[in-house]
Amino acid sequence: MSFLDRSIREIHEAYLRGETTPYELTLEAIARAKANQDNALETLDENGALTFAKTLMDPEPENLLWGIPYFAKDNLSTKGIETTASSNILAGYIPVFDATVIAKLKKRKAVLLGKTTLDELGMGGTGTTGRKGMTYNPYAPNHDRLIGGSSSGSAAVTAASIVPFALGSDTGDSIRKPASYAGLVGFKPTWGRISRYGLFPFAPSLDHVGFFTRNVDDAAILLQALAGRDEKDATSSDQEVKDYPVLQKLSPLGYKVAVIAEIVDSLTDPVMKEKFAASVAEMKQAGIQVDEVHLPHELLSSVYATYLVISSAEATSNNANLDGIKFGPYYEGKSYQEVMCKARTKGFSELTKRRFVIGSFALMAENQEKLFLRAQKNRARIVAAIESIFSQYDLIYGPAAPSVAPMVHPKTEMNTIAENHLAIGNFGGFPSLSLPLALEEGLPLGVNLTGRIFEEEKVLALASWLESYTGLAGLSALNAKEKQ
Amino acid sequence: MNIEAVIGIEIHVELKTKSKMFSAAPNAFSKTPNTNVAPLDMAFPGTMPVVNRQAVVHGIRVAYALHMEIARTLNFDRKNYFYADLPKGFQITQRFHPLGKEGYVTIFDLQNQPKKIAIERLHLEEDTCKQLHFRDYSLLDYNRAGVPLLEIVSYPDIHNGVEAVRYIEAIRNIVVYSRASDGKMEEGSLRCDVNVSIRPQGASFFGPKVELKNLNSLKNIQTAIDYEIARQSQCLASGMAIVQDTRRYDEAKGKTVSMRLKTEAIDYKYFPEPNILPIVLSEAMIEEAIATCPELYEAKKERYERMGLTPSQASVLLSDPAMASYFEAASEGSENPKTVANLLIVEVNAYLNKTGNGANISRFPLPPVSLKRIAAYREDGYTHQQCVEILEYCLREKARPEDALVALGITKADNDEEAIAAVVETVLAANPQSVSDFQAGKDRALSFLVGQAVKAAKGTLNPSVLAKALRERLNQEK
Repeated sequence: MSFLDRSIREIHEAYLRGETTPYELTLEAIARAKANQDNALETLDENGALTFAKTLMDPEPENLLWGIPYFAKDNLSTKGIETTASSNILAGYIPVFDATVIAKLKKRKAVLLGKTTLDELGMGGTGTTGRKGMTYNPYAPNHDRLIGGSSSGSAAVTAASIVPFALGSDTGDSIRKPASYAGLVGFKPTWGRISRYGLFPFAPSLDHVGFFTRNVDDAAILLQALAGRDEKDATSSDQEVKDYPVLQKLSPLGYKVAVIAEIVDSLTDPVMKEKFAASVAEMKQAGIQVDEVHLPHELLSSVYATYLVISSAEATSNNANLDGIKFGPYYEGKSYQEVMCKARTKGFSELTKRRFVIGSFALMAENQEKLFLRAQKNRARIVAAIESIFSQYDLIYGPAAPSVAPMVHPKTEMNTIAENHLAIGNFGGFPSLSLPLALEEGLPLGVNLTGRIFEEEKVLALASWLESYTGLAGLSALNAKEKQ
Repeated sequence: MNIEAVIGIEIHVELKTKSKMFSAAPNAFSKTPNTNVAPLDMAFPGTMPVVNRQAVVHGIRVAYALHMEIARTLNFDRKNYFYADLPKGFQITQRFHPLGKEGYVTIFDLQNQPKKIAIERLHLEEDTCKQLHFRDYSLLDYNRAGVPLLEIVSYPDIHNGVEAVRYIEAIRNIVVYSRASDGKMEEGSLRCDVNVSIRPQGASFFGPKVELKNLNSLKNIQTAIDYEIARQSQCLASGMAIVQDTRRYDEAKGKTVSMRLKTEAIDYKYFPEPNILPIVLSEAMIEEAIATCPELYEAKKERYERMGLTPSQASVLLSDPAMASYFEAASEGSENPKTVANLLIVEVNAYLNKTGNGANISRFPLPPVSLKRIAAYREDGYTHQQCVEILEYCLREKARPEDALVALGITKADNDEEAIAAVVETVLAANPQSVSDFQAGKDRALSFLVGQAVKAAKGTLNPSVLAKALRERLNQEK
């Protein structure tokens, strides 16, 4: 077993004991990255990572992230490293500044290995729309399973145990869904908890920065490192950053947990249903209060449409800066219109253009009221319904996805409540975490915990409890057979 | 049929702040293109807007001066459109909740009667980048991209070119004296778009609206409006349709030229800016902004008049804020500010005009304290002529007035009765013709005699005392 398969805390201890070095581990991670067949990388910054790792000589006992190798989703701005958001329109774009999360990790001396693939510009949930083509799920070596998206590459490199963690972003479920399909802990904390400065915006009112890890403790460590007010992001919160690694060990026994019946009822996979029910029974057995609550079916069914309208509307505006004039490939034209038109026609995939058209249509003066504003009102209704649950419960527990990772060419319609409900966490900016529940024929099933805003510690504490129940801490595609 | 013009004006004012509206790049003049640029100004992906507090303070002060209702929450929106000078593909502005609404400013109309011009809205936004067009390419300068702008939109309450100019002057006085802006039209820090339409006098409907652009001086605005009213009236008279278009003022030809037709309005797809949460403007913050606002034009004018200046003296000093500051520094604690004003308006201005090349008071070498001293000499009984000599010496030799006094050997003109009497006698004896002219009723002869006496006294005697003595002596002779 390589140190790469361990947790952040275990690697840290190995460094302190002198059992390995950041340089050795970086070399090994690069070797694994090169051997990996999942098409997970936009950029492997071999030289940059090795040069930096070489400078790390004396482990810092208080700094758990010292020398820890990681990847970042390619929609996070990295100074000096090409950042394309997996879109041809940004081919060759080398940012002049680091995203705040990248800068924070640099300061903590974590080693950035490179950038991972995503659905183009973060728009998509399949991992199939990036400029480099499909990203595969490491749990399906024959490449017949999706990994989900949009943080596809970050999920893949963590699940393939190339690194102990990777940064992602989540606008609808872009961390939590692939985490579920790849057996990972995927966490997006409260909107405003982590600075979004340097995250290429998809839909700012829904966008979150978060991360993939293979255990809950690592998620707590990262949250503590990345949370906090940032003057460059006016929407970042100045709420105190808590000691999450300590708090996640607290007992969740006093918590009140709600399970939304309509979500669970929409499950069709019998194994998922059974495993989920067993986990609820186990919680109750342990003395955690778990109650079934109800939300109107029509409200839950409207989540996807609401999400699509709001996110597409914001996306069409946010991506209007991509016009070929300032960065990205430039195409000659007789007028500025022609220059922009060529760059955007050649630079975006058809799917992305479709979203822009939807967004633009929803914002048109004659449609705003019945599309954009109606979606905003519905978003507020959904958030109010969830907040009323939170007035009585600490957490909401549910499936993270209907089943295991879908086939590349799915035979069934993927438009159920259980498929789309995670966007609720984005609507209200609630902290939301997915973690593996069980393995079904070698493929992970995931569950989700969502909490009140700025109560990440409760999400982590119950996740930690569930992790000891499932015994799946440290799960990866490499050790899944042993863990089955 | 009597025709009435209906005019509405949109004014964009560049605000004076250390950094730009939403980025940390300096908001400063730079000769080198693309040097005052932060990643946000070029819309690099992942950059986020942070509201400039000083711009908000400026906005609150101007809104208050315009008697506007000030918003208690600051909200920003996106105005979406594609254009080469718009880096983000949208402009951050305040569409739905402007910082100020429903105000007015009072001007004097053609009959010099006070008239209130109602103002619809005042809002904060950001400037675009500057385009330089060449024959087969264009260049972009992002120094201007993101410069804070205040937009002030009037109701169509203005009816002629003179009112338009007075309205713009009134707004300019407010933004300049609150130090919100340089307010320089020639340099583009105050820009006006003027909408002109005509209709029968007293009608309640509006004619087709023509928008005038490229108006970079008050003179151009007046000429362009006059031209436009005449042009539209002629169209109407000759039965031609007035076309709703955007017109450019051609300064050389003194006329407006159509740039483009105003077809369907562009749909800017406004929606709230998701990266700036609504910011509460506390009562305390608003009050503080207003309380600390520098003294405005109207208040200064009234104060100067209370200090003894004539309205026209006050206006001359206030036509240049730097001149007004100089005056205030030089008259501070002075017994007679009018003397300071007089020296500034007459002598200092004469010096500046002579220096030429756009020399202005901000580069005038004499410190205000020296002018104050010279004014004090004047009060103390030195003659105006002596004071002018001191001033000229100070400027020439870069000296202090005290040293000029010694160097020039100037002594105070006095009221020595014997000396005065002697001069009077000498002058009367030397000019018998003037004496008899005076006695024949020609008052002008006295002025000549006073002049001769001042000359004979070589500046050592007080001219007003000399004049008085001469008149008394001549009246005795009658």
